Amino acid sequence: MTEYKMFEGCVIGNRIPFIEASSRKVLDKIGVQTSQAPFSCCPDPTGMKCFDNTAWLAMGAQNLCLAESEDKPIISLCNGCANTLRGVQYQLKHDSNKKEAINKELAKIGKEYKGSIDVRHFVDVLKENLSAIKSAVTKPMSNLKVACHPGCHYMRPVEWMESDDPLRPVNLKEIAAATGANVVDYDELALCCGNAVAGPFPDHGDAILKKKLDSVKKAGADVIVVNCPACFQRFDTSQRDLSKKFDGEYNIPVLYITELIALAMGISSEDIGIKNHRVRRGTAIENL
Amino acid sequence: MTLPLGIDFEFRKQIMDVHIGSDKIKYCYQCNRCTDNCPVASVANPFYHEVTNWFDPRLIVLGTLLGYKDIVMALAGSKSALIPWGCTVCDTCDAVCPQAIEVTEIIGLAKNITSGAGLAPDNIVAQAKTVFDTAKAIPSQPAIERRREQMGLPAVAAPNVNEVQTLLKNIGADKKL
Ligand code: SF4
Ligand code: SF4
Repeated sequence: MTEYKMFEGCVIGNRIPFIEASSRKVLDKIGVQTSQAPFSCCPDPTGMKCFDNTAWLAMGAQNLCLAESEDKPIISLCNGCANTLRGVQYQLKHDSNKKEAINKELAKIGKEYKGSIDVRHFVDVLKENLSAIKSAVTKPMSNLKVACHPGCHYMRPVEWMESDDPLRPVNLKEIAAATGANVVDYDELALCCGNAVAGPFPDHGDAILKKKLDSVKKAGADVIVVNCPACFQRFDTSQRDLSKKFDGEYNIPVLYITELIALAMGISSEDIGIKNHRVRRGTAIENL
Repeated sequence: MTLPLGIDFEFRKQIMDVHIGSDKIKYCYQCNRCTDNCPVASVANPFYHEVTNWFDPRLIVLGTLLGYKDIVMALAGSKSALIPWGCTVCDTCDAVCPQAIEVTEIIGLAKNITSGAGLAPDNIVAQAKTVFDTAKAIPSQPAIERRREQMGLPAVAAPNVNEVQTLLKNIGADKKL
């Protein structure tokens, strides 16, 4: 049985840990084992990588070294972390100059990056265990109409992630369907949530988010299902302001895929902290 | 838009060097698929009409390919410019480019150059600073630690801040902060 090093990431670990609660419960139920390691920030592929690519490579490699020292693969609960760790592996594998330069820096802190372990996005691990998920469902979510949003960094760049079709992703939809939920298709499936541009340029970010949510609404979905904490927060915390800004009504609740699965497995919404969601009252998830 | 179109060979070389499979960028034939599918371009043009709000990955690729640094860095003389910082790093351009050009990496390099000049957006600098100080983008807080415990979650293992700071200092990233 493989044991993974748990990479919960900064956002889930230190801001919205209820996402980690549902994730750990689901992984437990399907028999996936994890253990802790003193990981630092991945770091952010939309932040630190843009600030300084070499710093991004070095910090990513330092994290990979920690898992390599135990010879265990990493499981990431976050698109950003999985993207960084897999991206760093990709760049160091395909560019020997970069690898040499980074290893020179790592040597100064007594480490060496080898590239000997695998980094898994948790959605890929769930997909591998689809039958175990299906057989643990006791409370099918057949009352929900869900729109899936896998988010950019789960499947792009495709050379790094090797997970799904970069523009017509299916994995998250398949997993959501396994809970008995009705998965609806919508035009803007592959569209970004706009999180990274929204920081420095809120008008651009909001225009993108509006496009995304309008498409979800048009499809008649009553829940958005995600697998990234950045997307989760973007959808869960921005809708009230968006409603004011565009004089519309945006009140679509968001569920992490592990929350949807946990609920379908009969785990109570209290145990996984659904009450921490901002968009909840008067929505399809209020009484789950 | 009037621009001083000087060719900067050093800039061109920097792009060629950073790009994995570096000669691929030469095969850009300006088909515009990247821009057609870019979420930011779709709201920046013609949604916002002013030149200062223009964002277009195809033109950024053309500018880098020819060494026209001023096109790529058109607004980079100012802090937090939409070019290049408007790119939301969604990697859609990479996925649709028929020539497999890593457009996002090119824009990433442009960002790296402007951050070196102290012109990155405040939120980017703030995040890098927090990472430098704590080795996390979001440091642990007592209230969240309590919540973790209540939910039966194990404590987050503390990172080695010293190691991270040594790495970043030796690379020189701390000087950009
Ligand atoms: S999609 Fe590729 S080939 Fe077409 S304009 Fe953009 S970078 Fe050039
Ligand atoms: S990665 Fe940047 S340039 Fe490319 S499509 Fe996304 S926002 Fe546009």
